[in-house]
Amino acid sequence: MKHSITATLFASTALLGTAAVAQEMTIGITQNNVGVDSYQTTYEKAFIAAAEANPDVETVVLDAGGDVARQIAQMEDLIQQQVDAIIIWPTNGEAVIPAVRKAHQADIPVIVTNSNIAEQGFDFVASFSGPDNITQGRRSAEIMCDKFKDMGIEDEAKVVHITGQPGYTTAIERAKGFNDRLPEVCPNVEQIDQQPGDWNREKSQQVMEAFLVKYDDIDGVYSGDDNMGVGALNAAKAAGREGIIFVGATNFAVGYEAMAAGDYWGSIYQSPVDDAEAALQTAIDVLNGEEVPFLNYFDTPKITQDNMDQFDKPVF
Amino acid sequence: MAALTTKNIGGFLARQGIIVAFVLFMIGFALANDRFITMDNIFGVIRSSAILGVMALGVTFVVIGGNLDLSVGSMMSFSTIVVLDLHDKLGPALGIPAMYGMTLALGAFIGFLVGYLKLNSLIVTLGMLSAIHGLTLTYSGGKNMDIADKEGTWFGIFGQGSILGVPVPILIFALLAVVLSMVLAKTPFGRKVYAVGGNGMAATFSGVPRARVVFMTYLISAFCVATAGLIQASRSLGSQNTVGQGMELEVLAAVILGGASLLGGSGTVFKTVIGVLILGFIQNGLLLVGLEFYVQYVVTWVIIILAVWLDIAAKRGRLLSPIA
Repeated sequence: MKHSITATLFASTALLGTAAVAQEMTIGITQNNVGVDSYQTTYEKAFIAAAEANPDVETVVLDAGGDVARQIAQMEDLIQQQVDAIIIWPTNGEAVIPAVRKAHQADIPVIVTNSNIAEQGFDFVASFSGPDNITQGRRSAEIMCDKFKDMGIEDEAKVVHITGQPGYTTAIERAKGFNDRLPEVCPNVEQIDQQPGDWNREKSQQVMEAFLVKYDDIDGVYSGDDNMGVGALNAAKAAGREGIIFVGATNFAVGYEAMAAGDYWGSIYQSPVDDAEAALQTAIDVLNGEEVPFLNYFDTPKITQDNMDQFDKPVF
Repeated sequence: MAALTTKNIGGFLARQGIIVAFVLFMIGFALANDRFITMDNIFGVIRSSAILGVMALGVTFVVIGGNLDLSVGSMMSFSTIVVLDLHDKLGPALGIPAMYGMTLALGAFIGFLVGYLKLNSLIVTLGMLSAIHGLTLTYSGGKNMDIADKEGTWFGIFGQGSILGVPVPILIFALLAVVLSMVLAKTPFGRKVYAVGGNGMAATFSGVPRARVVFMTYLISAFCVATAGLIQASRSLGSQNTVGQGMELEVLAAVILGGASLLGGSGTVFKTVIGVLILGFIQNGLLLVGLEFYVQYVVTWVIIILAVWLDIAAKRGRLLSPIA
């Protein structure tokens, strides 16, 4: 009860009493690109479901379609509509900062979800809710190194690395985590190439085809997500190259199936439902004036062929 | 005698500048990486290019007819998603023709708007680019589409199979290129496409049914897109909704690189194939050379401009052509 009173007070202050406050709080969200992959689609559904389950929350759900300019316009729309809080899934970690600052200046708290904006924008952000992508990259490196040690090839193994969309914070952070951690745990493993697969299965398949032509000896492939990992796996299968260890991140249903089939070794389990619910809860907590850590991570554990029976198959 | 030879070579260069450019790039990449000219790699590149290539064949007709088609990328995503979905619901034998029917219906709709209603093709197909994308997302609910039983289907043959050592996508690409090349160069319909694109008014006064010819070019384009979607779906037996996103510009680049005029009335299927191969081999060559990928975007552009310049310079017979 105390919470809703605070929220009402907050809402009335923000709206200056111009609108009838039928709902306790209105939260706007501008997403990156719904429909580009199943993760984002499932995220949106889970977000709407979680908001509907909460009678105190009204939402304005928008999608930028991967377009920075459209996302900035949507931020401005949400500021105009005087929502109580804005959740943003940045299309670009740098370019959205001015729009985030504008919301901050209008006294609307901004919660960044899934992938953080660049550091110079942190002052304008109330909280970041999402996975810790650097830790994810580090964990993928550990999964790969552990497997090499099992196989006894930790002193000569060669790895290729397929990253996500260049310039996209998630892609940069996962790559950094992996590239920093691998030499710490497996100092003699050599990463021989790194190219972007743009979060796209077909593109990764082409990149992997080129790698297979270029290098006779590839022991491991790290991809920034399972969607790309499966593309690389397809290329290796088509070329008849066996025994390559595939490790990804963001375990997709196709990756889970490939693990069950014994073709794909491991990944990082990240649920879009957890991601969406964490973002909404963070926004609600901020509006209720609760103490929220600036980097509000939810846990994303390692999943491999050995422990996959403890996890449900991802729905996306 | 010597003058004659020089003239012959000059004449050949003028007609085939783009091929000369293609050969030059191939030699360059071959020198930079010894893996570039291996059968595995060459087959690999042509197989990956086949999807783009098949789409470019259809767009060649549209462009020669004096119009544009920017909807092919979205339409390819649509075909891919639909055929993957119908594969599990109806089985491949029924699902493939059903997908062709739906894609051709989209092509017919665009052809009707541009041909019979005489609407500007840039606006129509730019609009269809997002409309079809929305249609695809609505159809799939935004989810990735995957064939449930990947081991137990023959559907993979179009993208992964090979006949006598040649990958099937290459065979489809080659077969379509030959057939469509004949249609364009040797049939009355082909001459009408050039006529409509070259001088629409004159074509009308000569009794060429302009609207119907334009309509047909979009049907051909849609047929090619459906075929590209089939190869794409069969290649990975699963797909995201945006698989063809952005390909419309690559397709257009390949067609224009091949020498077709954006104003209509000129271009050939064969040169479009060369345009497709140039783009495919540039991408692959830069990967093999191992350039940092931020640089690759720039270098790709430089090579395309270089190719267009060589083509133009050969036609004009001199390297520099200041305006006026």
